[in-house]
Amino acid sequence: MRKSLLFLLSLLVVFSLTLAACATPAEEPAAEEPAVAEPVEEEAAAEEQAMEEPVAEEPAEEEPTGLQGTLNVWSFTNEIRTMAIAFEGLHPGVDVVYTMIPMTAGEYQTKVKAAAGTADTPDVVALEAAFVKEWVESDLLANLNDLLPLTEELKTFPAVVEVGTHDGITKGYSYQSTPGAFFYRRSIATECLGTDDPVEVQAMVADLDKFVETAAKIKECSNGDYYTVGTAGAMLNPFLANRSQPWIVDDTLVIDPMIEEYVKFAKLMRDEGYESQAQQWSEGWFAGMSDTLVDAEGNPKRIFAYFLPTWGLPYVLMPNSGETGGDWAMIAGPLPYQWGGTWLGAVEGTPNIDLAKEFIKFAALDEENLTNWATGAYTNEYLVAIDPETPEDQAQAPGDFVSSQVVVEKITSQFDGSELYEWLGGQNNYEAFGKAAPNVNGALLTGSDDAIQRALQDPLNSYLLGEISEAEMWQLWLDSVRNEFPDLLLPEPPVSE
Amino acid sequence: MNFSINRRNYYGYLFIAPFIIGFLIFGLYPVYNTIYLSFTDTTLMTREADFIGLRNFQRLFADDFFMKGVRNTWLIWILNFIPQIGIAMVVSVWLTSTRLKIKSVGVWRALFYLPNLLMPAAVAALFFALFSYYGPVNQLMVRIGVLEEAMHYLQEVTTTRGLVVFIQWWMWFGQTVIIVMAGMTSIPLTLYEAAMVDGASGAQMFRRITLPLLKPIMIFIFVTSLVGGMQMFDIPYLLTDGRGSPSNSIMTNNILMYMKFSSSKGHIGAASSVGVLVFIMTSICALGIFYLLREKD
Repeated sequence: MRKSLLFLLSLLVVFSLTLAACATPAEEPAAEEPAVAEPVEEEAAAEEQAMEEPVAEEPAEEEPTGLQGTLNVWSFTNEIRTMAIAFEGLHPGVDVVYTMIPMTAGEYQTKVKAAAGTADTPDVVALEAAFVKEWVESDLLANLNDLLPLTEELKTFPAVVEVGTHDGITKGYSYQSTPGAFFYRRSIATECLGTDDPVEVQAMVADLDKFVETAAKIKECSNGDYYTVGTAGAMLNPFLANRSQPWIVDDTLVIDPMIEEYVKFAKLMRDEGYESQAQQWSEGWFAGMSDTLVDAEGNPKRIFAYFLPTWGLPYVLMPNSGETGGDWAMIAGPLPYQWGGTWLGAVEGTPNIDLAKEFIKFAALDEENLTNWATGAYTNEYLVAIDPETPEDQAQAPGDFVSSQVVVEKITSQFDGSELYEWLGGQNNYEAFGKAAPNVNGALLTGSDDAIQRALQDPLNSYLLGEISEAEMWQLWLDSVRNEFPDLLLPEPPVSE
Repeated sequence: MNFSINRRNYYGYLFIAPFIIGFLIFGLYPVYNTIYLSFTDTTLMTREADFIGLRNFQRLFADDFFMKGVRNTWLIWILNFIPQIGIAMVVSVWLTSTRLKIKSVGVWRALFYLPNLLMPAAVAALFFALFSYYGPVNQLMVRIGVLEEAMHYLQEVTTTRGLVVFIQWWMWFGQTVIIVMAGMTSIPLTLYEAAMVDGASGAQMFRRITLPLLKPIMIFIFVTSLVGGMQMFDIPYLLTDGRGSPSNSIMTNNILMYMKFSSSKGHIGAASSVGVLVFIMTSICALGIFYLLREKD
């Protein structure tokens, strides 16, 4: 009796300790071994499909292929879930388990980083522009070079591939290209600038000096009731895109003159009252889109324009614009830029590498999927037909700007007369973005951008508010960069006391 | 005889085994592992790590960040603990007073406890919306003439810290009320009756009977609140940008630890060193409290 209990007890100890050991990284290589053995067979199958797929016309009616298995996909929005369901429709044997974690204060980045290399690791991860490089530069993503020929076929915009590539190895592909634009209100332009014609308005904001002159005009004509932009903070991206060097060169932080320019510009916009002081993504910032902004005394205020990229139009501006549809126009603005974008990568060592590759190929490098994606073919009904459990608001509205020049050229004319076209007062957004996309520069992104840029926001806000001097702002920012990157060499602040 | 004693001891071990095993795996091992990690340069994005001795700790003291985090944590905790315990005492005396005979004590107690049931995320989002630049608090303050113009509450050090202190107090004083009340009702009524017969006033009874007999409860509240306060994270993290802005004024120990953990490479080694120092600091303080409030007789 006693002996058997002792035995049970020790069994329990051994069992528990084994469980604990499983969670430690030391066990990793063993867990990954099967992944190395598996692929050989399936790769041939995957290649076969690569030949078949582009020929298919109707995704729903396609012959079910032999793909089987469960694929774990993690993302920070619900957007890719649409792709996941469409993918399931194409391959009924595949079950895509979709996990969404928001990235408001960096939760997604942390969660996915912590999961990488453990048993909970997803097979496919979505990576936003702010941190995609961090992953592409690490050894956590699988080499996807064998999908590269498809980018030539589809004429994927070079910057999109460049961002997903490090040291000649491409690890991430994107379905989007994200050139930026300047969206303005036609009624305010007519009232204060004398015209709402995009060409003429573009001439009035063609460079930063002209932009400031125009902002002054708008303030004067409205007695300060119209702000030119919601927040100067949203203008960081145009300045970032026009730097001559990335943030980090040879382990040294580079403060490009464009960054100093940005700080000066933001201060000017704030001090002169050209911006509404509403923080980006806050209620006030959104309220400006639908003309429902009211200041503390109850006076209605209006915002003339928003700097937003391709995805900003269908996802941010249009859904929040209330009754103002048709009163908007889009132009390039003072500085060409790009902002954001989502890349997809397969986690190194996943046993599902073939399925993961197949999904990435479908999402980012499949002409038909990209066409469906951009033209609004993925309606809620379409998705519900595949997966009855699809949430009611899950669908892809037309208008997202895709990464393939072939697709863009093919579908641009479809947007003439569309809802978006009417919303923009008769402009074809696809055409405008199509002109900007080939010029986007992907070389400025580095793995540390997110942290460096996030660290700048707080000191900058305090400086704009007049709580601290410019010298203190630079020092605070450098201190906080040092805190996150202990090995980075830091330059002298541009302004010091 | 010998056999039966052995058997009894043996069953004792068996019964505590589940806890001991659980504690070893989920309690002791993480502590050991954190201490171990704090001497390495482990990151989440690389697979290899080196033993780097005390470098992580040296770096913590190389700039003002860590000390600032410690100062913030203490400041916010003390500012919320004093009113919390003070108001909880007053409320408990009222609710348990045999003279005041307040009705439906349970309802009051539940009401005070309610904020604690809210998710910190929801509370932070609520206060963020209330106190944003175009938010309702500004609208109210300007229209009734308290403020001349709208202000950025969450971009100013004093108001932001004040809000964190208020939220912490508001969420936790109900909990303290419940514990203090439990302590007070466990004091035998006969003591108060005897005191009343001797002609003691309410204040005298509170000072001579209630306070001394509440000491074990007070130690418990003090220590748990201190440990909780030193680990303050959710509200200050969610209220602003997750980095303790403005000017790092609400960056607590744990936010700093999380920042290191979630930095672009995921420096878990450096994050662990913050955890180890907070662990040491909290242990010393908790032991100090026990020592100072020990039974002297």
